[in-house]
Amino acid sequence: MTGGGAAHGPAGQPVISLHSVAYTYRGPPPVHALKPTNLVIYRGEHVAITGPSGSGKSTLLNLLGLLDKPTHGTIEIDGIDVGAAPERERAAVRAHRIGFVFQSFHLLPYRTSIENVMLAQVYADEPRRRRHAAAMAALAQVGLADRADALPTALSGGERQRVAIARALVNRPSLLMCDEPTGNLDTATTQELADLLESLHREGATLLVITHNPAVAGRAQRTIAIRDGELTADPLAGGTRAVPGS
Amino acid sequence: MRSPARRRLRGGVPPSRLRLRDLGSEALAGLLQRPGRSALTLLGVILGIGSFVAIVGIAQTASGQIGKQFNVLQATQAYVFDVGAAQSSSPTVDFPPNADAQADRIHGVVAAGVYWAVQFKQAAVSAHASGFLASKRAFPVTAASPGLLAAAGVKLVSGTLFNQFHETHAQNVAVLGETAAAGLGITSLEGQPAIFIDGQPFTVIGIIASSQRLPQLSVGVTVPESTTLRLWGPPAHEQAQMLIHTTLGAAKVVAEQAPVAIRPDNPTLLKGAAAPSAAQLQHNVSTSLNTLFLTLAGIALIVGAVGIANTTLVAVLERAGEIGLRRALGARPRHIGVQFLTESTALGLFGGLIGASLGVVAILAITIYRHWTALLDPRIVIAAPAAGAIVGLLAGLYPALRASLMEPADALRR
Repeated sequence: MTGGGAAHGPAGQPVISLHSVAYTYRGPPPVHALKPTNLVIYRGEHVAITGPSGSGKSTLLNLLGLLDKPTHGTIEIDGIDVGAAPERERAAVRAHRIGFVFQSFHLLPYRTSIENVMLAQVYADEPRRRRHAAAMAALAQVGLADRADALPTALSGGERQRVAIARALVNRPSLLMCDEPTGNLDTATTQELADLLESLHREGATLLVITHNPAVAGRAQRTIAIRDGELTADPLAGGTRAVPGS
Repeated sequence: MRSPARRRLRGGVPPSRLRLRDLGSEALAGLLQRPGRSALTLLGVILGIGSFVAIVGIAQTASGQIGKQFNVLQATQAYVFDVGAAQSSSPTVDFPPNADAQADRIHGVVAAGVYWAVQFKQAAVSAHASGFLASKRAFPVTAASPGLLAAAGVKLVSGTLFNQFHETHAQNVAVLGETAAAGLGITSLEGQPAIFIDGQPFTVIGIIASSQRLPQLSVGVTVPESTTLRLWGPPAHEQAQMLIHTTLGAAKVVAEQAPVAIRPDNPTLLKGAAAPSAAQLQHNVSTSLNTLFLTLAGIALIVGAVGIANTTLVAVLERAGEIGLRRALGARPRHIGVQFLTESTALGLFGGLIGASLGVVAILAITIYRHWTALLDPRIVIAAPAAGAIVGLLAGLYPALRASLMEPADALRR
């Protein structure tokens, strides 16, 4: 299997690092959604971020995923300062270095599983003749090779989320970012999906999972809690150099 | 999108792209997501473009029919109307006796002559003065100056036409059309046959087979103008007018100059007019036929544009999640904008294509029904889908802008 992630650089290097990153909604009154934060995630790590709603979790996810710009501080992905970079560069990094998995799957309803996976290859500019094989490989990696031609409406919730994971993996990103990946799934399916994420991590993927499901968070090597816009509970957060994941 | 030389951004990351082929398939997939809605959206553009093509084509076809009927004969023809007599309370003729000669002096005049229809209360023409053979026939009687016979382009069967001598001396001579001659039993001019008009005897001096510009001469009786004035006076109902045979292209100028040349003392009594040219006829047809319908087509097109704008905007709002996803997958704002712009442009283009086809079908149906020859400028057929595409493009500008300005984080939450 070659599609596992950790495609860029050796293990132990920082994949993403935040330096004094803060996000403030301009007021009045100004809301400090994320207070100045330092955070480093190393290649091959499996990190969970937990916190109640309104804790700044979504803000952190948007900043980590380059979907929003921080009001302070710098964000580096694979050593590239992308926090304040022009949208052209941020879009390129999203296309090639970050794979997103969302709570609500975000599959296009009129497209088959493999077509949904191949959508990620459009913007990453994968040559058309290579797309089908790569998408099939990604689907095989999540155990859905036999559902390649099924429409999302014909898939169970767990299957849909696995298609979304295949889409996130297909460009072999540096970081797989999962936002409440099991939020719409039942307990049994949640366990299956947590197993899948764990196996992807074993294959070398760098995982960042935002969840408030302890069963999912428990699979991570380290858990970072966020509350009122501040990272807590993880001794390795706050700029401390963490032990690289094995 | 444009694909510049493959270059890399900082950190060796290649830029995200949307290739032209991918753009095409993504836009098409977007349209086919809701085929029913896309089809309904097309209707406005189809109606607008279709009626536009049909109207232009039918106007061109109709003008073509006029062009076919129009010929050199009419292009070398001018009239002078006796407007003074029309306004006068008593019957009069404002053309002087030398009108023919005056008109002949205008450059471009081949022949000119004055004529009017002589009105009788009842049928007035007979072959005999009295007796059972004197049954009167209602052949049209035309008073004409000698120049008129030349200007009308009459062809003689036998005999001669009356000339300036007959005119000057107001002779009782008549030229018969072939139809009138047959009706009056006159087959030969030997023995100088006579006819009676309103009881007055006239010597038949010629029989004509045809008259190019005044067909009524070939079926009726033509007598000298001066004789008519002497016997029955000036025309009471239908005023005298002058027919002028001009050289090709001179009709309009001759018509303008004739009143001054004929009545230099009071040219306002006369009014010149050239036979309407083909271009004028076409113009008349276009303006009378088209203005309303082109306006309606324009309104339909605007409605179509609003429909596309509305559908695209609804699609943008509805597909916010998809937009957020695409942004997360690496799409730049312009990739999103250009996709929706392509969708709206494609809608306009398809509408234009279908509309142009239906317009051509409508033209064919009408021309077949009317036994016309269908005429349509091929540029119209090519321009119609392009016009549809432009309508779609313009209609998509605002929705595409909205889509490209959507914040990905917000869009993903919807």
